[in-house]
Amino acid sequence: MAREMMPGRRRFTAGSVGADLLILLWFVFSLFPIVWMVLLALKTRSQQTSTYFAFSPTLENFGTVMSRRGEDLTSVNFSGALLSSVLNCGGAVLVSLLIGIPAAYAAGRWKYRGSEDLMFQMLSFRFAPELMVVVPLFVIYNQTGLFDTTYGMIWVLQLVTMPLVVWILRSYFQDLSPELEQAALLDGYTRRRAFVMVALPLVRPGIAAAALLAFIFAWNNYVFPLILTDSEATTVTVAVTKFLGGGGQAYYNLTAAAALIGALPPLVLALTIQRYLVRGLSFGAVKA
Amino acid sequence: MTTAVTATDAAPLTLTDVRKTYLARGREPFEAVKGMSMDIRPGELIALLGPSGCGKTTTLRMIAGLETVTSGAIAIGDRQVQDLPPGKRDIGVGFESYALYPPLNVRENLAYGLKARRVRGAARQVDQLAARLEMSDLLDQRPASLSSGQKQRVALARALIRNPRVLLLDEPLSHLDAAQRQRVRRELKVLQREFGYTTIVVTHDQLEALSLADRMAVMNAGVIEQFGTPDEIYDDPANMFVADFVGEPKINLFEGTAVRRSGGTVVRAGRDGRLAAYAPAATDGQAVTVGLRPQDARPAHDDEPALAARVVVYEDFMEFGLATLEVPGVDGRIVAQLPHGVRWRRGETRRIAARPDRVYLFDTETGTRIR
Repeated sequence: MAREMMPGRRRFTAGSVGADLLILLWFVFSLFPIVWMVLLALKTRSQQTSTYFAFSPTLENFGTVMSRRGEDLTSVNFSGALLSSVLNCGGAVLVSLLIGIPAAYAAGRWKYRGSEDLMFQMLSFRFAPELMVVVPLFVIYNQTGLFDTTYGMIWVLQLVTMPLVVWILRSYFQDLSPELEQAALLDGYTRRRAFVMVALPLVRPGIAAAALLAFIFAWNNYVFPLILTDSEATTVTVAVTKFLGGGGQAYYNLTAAAALIGALPPLVLALTIQRYLVRGLSFGAVKA
Repeated sequence: MTTAVTATDAAPLTLTDVRKTYLARGREPFEAVKGMSMDIRPGELIALLGPSGCGKTTTLRMIAGLETVTSGAIAIGDRQVQDLPPGKRDIGVGFESYALYPPLNVRENLAYGLKARRVRGAARQVDQLAARLEMSDLLDQRPASLSSGQKQRVALARALIRNPRVLLLDEPLSHLDAAQRQRVRRELKVLQREFGYTTIVVTHDQLEALSLADRMAVMNAGVIEQFGTPDEIYDDPANMFVADFVGEPKINLFEGTAVRRSGGTVVRAGRDGRLAAYAPAATDGQAVTVGLRPQDARPAHDDEPALAARVVVYEDFMEFGLATLEVPGVDGRIVAQLPHGVRWRRGETRRIAARPDRVYLFDTETGTRIR
């Protein structure tokens, strides 16, 4: 390095340049599938298998996927699946919040015999393979009439959403000084009102993070809707793959377009709550 | 109390054999508070002093109703309160963490306590109290923008706003820096006198307790070791724990043997050290632990019993000096606080003594004072 560096300026050493190049390389590498998917979504069916980057792009595929035309062509009701996904995931998150917030509060405030075991049990739902439970669930759902219903999906998605909600919110409640509620008790508030009026508003950011994170995880779930739904309550994740059809009827361009549309809601949500996401993903281990 | 200005209903507080036992299945029951009894007069400021885990905060929380009472009675005035919910006890608590509600400004924080009871004229009450506590300019600020001293003041106001019959303060000065601590401590004392509330302050800081309290209880492992005025606690400790816990620098404790003489008691310590002590109850030849406060040690006259000691370190703090001494045959070192101008040098041998009534003798086994 012959040139004098300005003080305070970043030094460009061989090492730092190398590191930057590596990061850039990784960036290109990891984003490539998405770029490829976007390109594919803009191609016509006749272009879908060509690997040339030069083609005349069209937005037609998005319209086809969302409309009746797509359904006639491929018998996939994608807009219906989109709605189902919203209902399933929204419903699942709502139920998880209703039950999970009080549970998280109790778990964060009081220690009792087996409380840690219970929390770990809850967490274990997150890392137990879904395929392990889905076959017996399939039998049960068939016999109880929960198969291919929104109720059934909301129920089974609790396995995904509940642990997230409880674990994230517990850490938020633990960070909250219990003296705040105790002060309210001394002022004459009841336990319940102290919880609702003092503790709850203060964990609102936590509730938002937990809810949105749970929503995203539920949205991305594939195994449960694949096995436990057919057409009525089927979700985006399953519907996307159906465009691939079978026996030479594969619509790769429509698949790509559908996948992009399906990825949009979680992407938008993730961007809006980016601030809380890190803490949510680490189950609240990072202090805000 | 005739000085009470506002709290015309300052109440006496009586604890009768209050106990708290924590039961955990599969574990030994833990007795956090083992039978506390105290009679606190209206308007009195009481300090509960003790090391962490001694049960002082548990006691405070039981009085406030945030912790159940295993057995015993708590009375405010002539009202038994131990079974009432916290909101019905007429108690104000200043929490250690201040417990200020972050989204609300100071004014709303103060009014919050009145809202639950739907008190009329809450806004006026807040303004009046704020004026009296000289914090009107803080009313529109959020807790996050306040200094810790200001937060402490708001927390106090929050405890006082309902005009409670008893005021409890949990470690009120622990989050303040040294300079603020002194200032707030004085303010607290002035305010308590002015308002006249019956007050209990929980603290682990002996200086805080000594300077604030009318009377103080020194607690250890769930029991009161001694309950009395700061003078009594400091000048006349009931046992070794109290003597050791209260006083800065710490009291010197060393082994000795009591010797009865016609003129009184002398303790032998080390190879040939002797100290005159006032302890009529001591028996001749009794093995004792001698307690000598650094402040009570002084250079000995030629004709009195004394400890001959070699100076290890002499630290000059200008207003006084601290000599760290080694007495032959005595385990550990002895610290003596000497008046300004007495400069001892390292390596010198000096003789120290103390007033006989300032040489405390303790039973080595039980720690009880022998007097």
